[in-house]
Amino acid sequence: MTDDVILQVKDLKAYFKLDEGLLKAVDGVSFDLRKGETLGIVGESGSGKSVTNLAIMRLIPSPPGHIAGGEVVFMGDDILKMSDDGIRKIRGNKISMIFQDPMTCLNPFLKISTQMIETIVLHQGLDKKAAKEKAVDMLKLAGIPAPEKRIDQYPHQFSGGMRQRVMIAMALSCEPEILIADEPTTALDVTIQAQILELINELSERLGTAVILITHSLGVVAGMCDSICVMYAGRIVERGTADEIFSDPRHPYTQGLIKSVPRLDKVSTQRLYSIPGQPPNVINLPDCCPFFPRCERAMDVCKTKYPKVAELGDKRTVACWLYGEGK
Amino acid sequence: MSRFIVRRFLSVIPTLFIIVTLSFFLIRLAPGGPFSGEKKLPPEIMANIMRKYHMDEPLVKQYFRYMGDVLQFDLGPSYRYKDQTVNDLIGNAFPVSVMLGTMALGTALLLGTIVGITSALKQNKWQDYAAMSVAVLGISVPAFVVGPILMLIFALKLKWLPTSGWLSSRAGALTLIMPIITLMMPYFAYIARMSRGSLIEVMRSDYVRTARAKGLKESVVIRKHVLKGAMLPIVTYLGPAFSGIITGSVVVEQIFVIPGIGRIFVQSALNRDYTVIMGDVIVYSIILIAANFVVDILYGLLDPRISYK
Amino acid sequence: MPSIDKNNDRATNEFNQYVKPVSLWADAWKRLRRNKMAVLGMWIVAIYMVVTFGAALLPFKSYTEQEMLHINLPPSFKPAGVVALGRLEERKVELEAAITRSGRADLKQDLTRIENEIIQLKGEVDTDPKHKRVYILGTDYLGRDMLARTIYGGQISIMIGLIGTLTAAMIGIVLGSLGGYLGGWVDNLIGRFVDLMYSLPYMLVVIIIMSMLPTGSNSIFVLYIAIAMISWLTISRVVRGQIISLKNSEFVEAARSMGAGSGRIIFRHLLPNSLGIIIIYSTLQFPSFIMNESFLSFLGLGVSAPRASWGTLVSEGVQGMQLYPWRLLVPAVSMTVFLFAMNFLGDGLRDALDPQSKNRN
Ligand SMILES: Nc1ncnc2c1ncn2[C@@H]1O[C@H](COP(=O)(O)OP(=O)(O)OP(=O)(O)O)[C@@H](O)[C@H]1O
Ligand SMILES: [Mg+2]
Repeated sequence: MTDDVILQVKDLKAYFKLDEGLLKAVDGVSFDLRKGETLGIVGESGSGKSVTNLAIMRLIPSPPGHIAGGEVVFMGDDILKMSDDGIRKIRGNKISMIFQDPMTCLNPFLKISTQMIETIVLHQGLDKKAAKEKAVDMLKLAGIPAPEKRIDQYPHQFSGGMRQRVMIAMALSCEPEILIADEPTTALDVTIQAQILELINELSERLGTAVILITHSLGVVAGMCDSICVMYAGRIVERGTADEIFSDPRHPYTQGLIKSVPRLDKVSTQRLYSIPGQPPNVINLPDCCPFFPRCERAMDVCKTKYPKVAELGDKRTVACWLYGEGK
Repeated sequence: MSRFIVRRFLSVIPTLFIIVTLSFFLIRLAPGGPFSGEKKLPPEIMANIMRKYHMDEPLVKQYFRYMGDVLQFDLGPSYRYKDQTVNDLIGNAFPVSVMLGTMALGTALLLGTIVGITSALKQNKWQDYAAMSVAVLGISVPAFVVGPILMLIFALKLKWLPTSGWLSSRAGALTLIMPIITLMMPYFAYIARMSRGSLIEVMRSDYVRTARAKGLKESVVIRKHVLKGAMLPIVTYLGPAFSGIITGSVVVEQIFVIPGIGRIFVQSALNRDYTVIMGDVIVYSIILIAANFVVDILYGLLDPRISYK
Repeated sequence: MPSIDKNNDRATNEFNQYVKPVSLWADAWKRLRRNKMAVLGMWIVAIYMVVTFGAALLPFKSYTEQEMLHINLPPSFKPAGVVALGRLEERKVELEAAITRSGRADLKQDLTRIENEIIQLKGEVDTDPKHKRVYILGTDYLGRDMLARTIYGGQISIMIGLIGTLTAAMIGIVLGSLGGYLGGWVDNLIGRFVDLMYSLPYMLVVIIIMSMLPTGSNSIFVLYIAIAMISWLTISRVVRGQIISLKNSEFVEAARSMGAGSGRIIFRHLLPNSLGIIIIYSTLQFPSFIMNESFLSFLGLGVSAPRASWGTLVSEGVQGMQLYPWRLLVPAVSMTVFLFAMNFLGDGLRDALDPQSKNRN
């Protein structure tokens, strides 16, 4: 199992140079992704989840952003060191991405067919006709009714959920190794959210695609993910398998997140828990644990130094002064 | 679509009606008349003239008479150029102005988008700064400064271009160069700034990020995914730009002695040649309304999200 | 147990970092100051304002005084008498050459006239103080100082720009906020009217109005009214949009629930929050007022003599530009520099006050 790691992110850093100062949106993130695995990345808004994944695809808007260090090893090669042509052969082909807001992510001026066909023609070398057939097949797989007809329509003729299905069909049309799904359901109705997640789950299993699922709620990843990374202020604070994270959360932040997930099995009359305070503004953060102002178990050391990452077992880490040598 | 065109067309009529009515009364209320400037005419001749042009009738009657004529596309006689009708005067001048205006707008559009796109692609590099400074200059310098200075340099000092005149004169197409540059300057500059801004905005948009995430080459991304969306705002600007160019051509025709409706307009305003002013106002309004009309339809054709039901 | 001092001091954040409290305006000012072109523009505009409006206090020459011996003198740092004398002597040499070489006896008369003028000027040059004047930017066709004329022309142009901008802003604010706040038929009526005015070729309307004025009337006043009357359209639309978007916001609801009346809500809550955008549009409109005024003056329909605006000066300069280019270039360049600065300042203000602006271009 350990040997089929297809993506290895090591100490990835992505910074934005802003007027107010240096914004360390991602500051030393590391994780592995195995073949066919589903990895959840969880964290509050602004914790750097999207930037991490844009950095993997080298899609960070620059200026103001740039990748300040680290490695992203995909099937043996470091993506960050590739030529522009090299990375383009991977984008949309080996690694594809779907984004948060399906309303704005499809080009409103082009037909769905044009947008789908161009990817297939580019990466699979099919002619237009064959590519269109493939696109229709993908739409059908993604659960679009009457795909032959709808493929020649424009995005505004689709509902939000349908557009996200189109995005999924488009992203999977070249049967990529990795699908990065950046909060694919946040902008959708609750009823549709479950369907979309189910679709991603089903298609990725069928195609053997590994998935990085980004979300800010642990509830979403619970049923779907094999392993989970919890991000806070640009860093991964805890990492482990889904079972470990849910049955034995170590970091106070993870514990807070889990407490704030609504539970169906425990009927409770109490109000849902929420972590007090706001996530920090990560511009010019001092060297400290960025969570300490909101942490119930904060100690003096938390205010002066970022905690060492403690290895608690195979691929199980936590960055908190409560664990490791600090304890 | 055709329903939309018809409805839009009908909505133009009241506007035109109001414009004509307003300017009719505005002009008639003004002190002094077309004949007051000339040396005192004997009263009986004056009365004759007044009768000939129906100016002895009550104002309201004159108004209805005029409206009736206008509906039959007859703009009446000129008070100044005794043997010419307003239809003749404007008929000869109209093609000249329209040609000047469309050529200026075309050049502004072409050069403006090229410069705007280049500077968006070279954002914050020297090419960008240079182009945008030129653009602010273009917006800041009025036509009546650009025109004479061009004339001073290229016609009077270097003698490369003729100072004035229009196609028919000996210099032919060379006469077009300076008027077109003068007229298009601010619109070129504005279009360049606008297309740069809009291009930069679209390049940051989500759907362009999607296109990049598909592995498309940057040149393909720009050509296929950026340009169309970025150029749409320019299309909406074409209406106001055209009306500005039409007004601007008043000055340019004056400077370069071009026999267009702008020159006629100023002349007749100075002479209080009522019928000619009125005819000019009507023609100008129709041009403006038609331009906005065309822009609306164009916009609908380019943006699939808009449907005319 | 952790002992965290949370937010007991507003100026430090949860990490005990000092956070400067910034108001919207202070923030905007900071952004404006970082924009070099805008700062340059601001300085240029300030200098123009001081020079043109302080002109009476500064040692400039009269802009109306005519001096027949100093007609069309080129820019120079030498005293006027010397420049004029030099020019006459040049002319004399030319005439003599023409007479001897091409035998143009008809020019004899001119020669004697010029010789007489030279004698007269030589007699005066050291005694009469007017020949000691220095015209660094030359003189015009009546021997008036171009520098003084350009400065006073600027005074009139800038004045018209200022008054026009203020009038347009005032009308625009009143009608825009009325329409936006009251809605209903008031809004409809104003909206229709604005639409109608937009579809007029509006400079042409101004031309008609100007041409209707009896000659010799005090046209400056009418001129700026005429321009301002039609320039409030954009401001009123912008203000209306702002007011509508703010009208239903929480802070206005709060004010209303505390019993504030409409007038109070408009003046204390809605307008101050629209001030930024009003300033932006007014600054950007200011140069177009100056341009429009000059446009009319250029056509001979604007400011009438003895007053002169930049447009008048440019149009006078065009008359003799081949022989006396400075008469065109001096006012043209002065005007362009000012408009250039004004535009940079306006762009800078927009970027500073409305950083997310979509209308950026
Ligand atoms: N283009 C950009 N320019 C400047 N700052 C940016 C940019 N993109 C992201 N950031 C900053 O980087 C930080 C991390 O952003 P990111 O989008 O990764 O958050 P996220 O975890 O995906 O949040 P969300 O759940 O809201 O999507 C934020 O503070 C954000 O303001
Ligand atoms: Mg995100």
